[in-house]
Amino acid sequence: MQIELALFAKLSARYPVPGSGREPRPLEIEDGTRVGALVERIGLAAEPRITFVNGRHAADDRLLAEGDRLAIFPPIAGG
Amino acid sequence: MRTILRVDMSTLRVTSEPVPERWKDFGGRALTSAIVFEEVPADADPLGPANKLIIATGLLGGTTAPNGGRLSIGGKSPLTGGIKEATGGGQLGHTLGHLGIAAIVVEGAAKTGLYSLLIEADGSAKLERTDDWAMLGNYALADKIAATRPEGDRFATASIGPAGEKRLAAASIAVSDPKGYPNRHAGRGGLGAVMGSKGLKAVIASDRGVTGVPDHADKDAFVAATRKFATALREHPVSGEGLPTYGTQVLTNIINEAGGYPTRNFSAGQFEFASALSGENMREITLERGGNVKHGCHSGCVIQCSRYWYDKDGHYKTKGMEYESVWSLGADCGIGDLDDVAELDRACGDIGIDTIEMGATLAVYMESGALAFGDAKGALAALKQVGTDSELGTTLGSGAGATGKKFGVTRVPTVKNQAMPAYDPRPIQGIGVTYATSTMGADHTAGYAITANVLGVGGSVDPLKPEGQVALSQSLQIATAMLDAMGLCIFVAFPVLDKPEAFEAIVEMATAHTGKDWNADELMGLGKKVLTYERLFNNHAGFTAADDRLPAYMYTEKLPPHNVVFTVPDAELDTMYDFVDETAMALQIS
Repeated sequence: MQIELALFAKLSARYPVPGSGREPRPLEIEDGTRVGALVERIGLAAEPRITFVNGRHAADDRLLAEGDRLAIFPPIAGG
Repeated sequence: MRTILRVDMSTLRVTSEPVPERWKDFGGRALTSAIVFEEVPADADPLGPANKLIIATGLLGGTTAPNGGRLSIGGKSPLTGGIKEATGGGQLGHTLGHLGIAAIVVEGAAKTGLYSLLIEADGSAKLERTDDWAMLGNYALADKIAATRPEGDRFATASIGPAGEKRLAAASIAVSDPKGYPNRHAGRGGLGAVMGSKGLKAVIASDRGVTGVPDHADKDAFVAATRKFATALREHPVSGEGLPTYGTQVLTNIINEAGGYPTRNFSAGQFEFASALSGENMREITLERGGNVKHGCHSGCVIQCSRYWYDKDGHYKTKGMEYESVWSLGADCGIGDLDDVAELDRACGDIGIDTIEMGATLAVYMESGALAFGDAKGALAALKQVGTDSELGTTLGSGAGATGKKFGVTRVPTVKNQAMPAYDPRPIQGIGVTYATSTMGADHTAGYAITANVLGVGGSVDPLKPEGQVALSQSLQIATAMLDAMGLCIFVAFPVLDKPEAFEAIVEMATAHTGKDWNADELMGLGKKVLTYERLFNNHAGFTAADDRLPAYMYTEKLPPHNVVFTVPDAELDTMYDFVDETAMALQIS
């Protein structure tokens, strides 16, 4: 199945290759994939992060579904 | 010895007095709010001679405390009708600190003419007639001021543009940055109009050659504490990496992702051009054009979230726009281009008007149908009428509430008549609690609940749910009032919330500097005192629980994409100030 992956700030250029840019990208994943496993697959497991699925905070055990949008940010704040 | 400089605009006399014993532990917002509480009648006309304008440096102002040079400006607000403290960056906080001036209190009103206050490095101060500067924008004024200063001078300014001179309720006070650009603003609540009502165009203060002040009670301990604090700020990912790299604009994508990015006058929580407005895009464009992407708004800043925005020809246009300004002048108006936003930001800065209030106001104006959402040229033309005598300009310059009334718009996102900033309170309920209950009117900085609601800083709460939001906002409002009293930048709060040693360093800096034995409870107690002065002033001015509410439509109109309304119960909001009676008793005020 396919989901959309969006990476931001310093993570934006990290996947699939350095310099990939800021645009969200489609990603093929197997049924039953959880957030934590996918984060590990794309090499961000060691990064402190804030993770959203469809605009809500998501834990690593969250099961991903067809058409989900997974967005990952490094720790950021401002205002 | 710290002093208070009293500037009587009615008699044109300037006098100096020691800070009274009862205010010896007060700086910044503690000083502005205590002085307003004691000296301004709660029923005073905000634009009349009984109001006062107080410009105060923090308790750590003038020292080498990292991020310790913020400035507080206070008075009774012509926008809200309540007490106001607008915090700003720029260099003036440190300049006053170097001169030993804890606060400037501007009183009365000039009978005729326009004046500027000159404070020289030898401590002398006087008012000078500056009628020639009438109706100058802040940038042209900065050039005029620079031309009057001696070669090699080191000075900082606070000034108003045409909006302040016209006494418009959304007028700001511009403060010069370390390079002299008048691009840092004490923006909120119309204090520029208060300054204008006094007949004061500018404050110019020189600290050329002044070194080694203020004295510390224990210099070695102070230096050690500043090092500890700086290390904590540099090691935290938010203050050490995110903010220096992208500035406050780093927030655009994440608030949009969370569905809390108010779009087209708070009618949606996501904007289709958020990526174009984002900090990531702004950084790339700024670097392409040779702009600056990292500096402090005042000396001694180790976070360095400020930047300069250059136009397509590589010339300085305005400061690197802040997250709030890009949101208000961008997404809230349906405008998705950073150059368009920069033009609007520059105009606000020059006219001297609060970007948050102005963007929200233009969005209300657009909702009336007078202008289409997304019409950047139309928005700029309308904005440029502010500070002239045109009816439209006068209306817009009076804020979102006035504009809603004038044009028959009922969806007006204000609390206590002050426009909400860049977070919709429906999908981020914690910030809604702060908007509703802050003594300032809708103000994100008063208690920045975005931390635990969205950013995972200082814990975590569900942003769509009411549970835990009042307690979160209360603790943040108390802590923020303390930071504002110290003169510390609010962004130190991110490491302070996560790293115990950062908070310890504040205790140690305050103790080593003042000689008083501060501890955590006393620091929080200072925050409570500040809020108590403010809450009681507002009570005396006529505010009731009904003023601590969001606009009615936010309880009924669901915001996409999460399709939620604000659900924090009124009874919980009304517990926000449960500490005030006890604190008031200790302060012997009522």
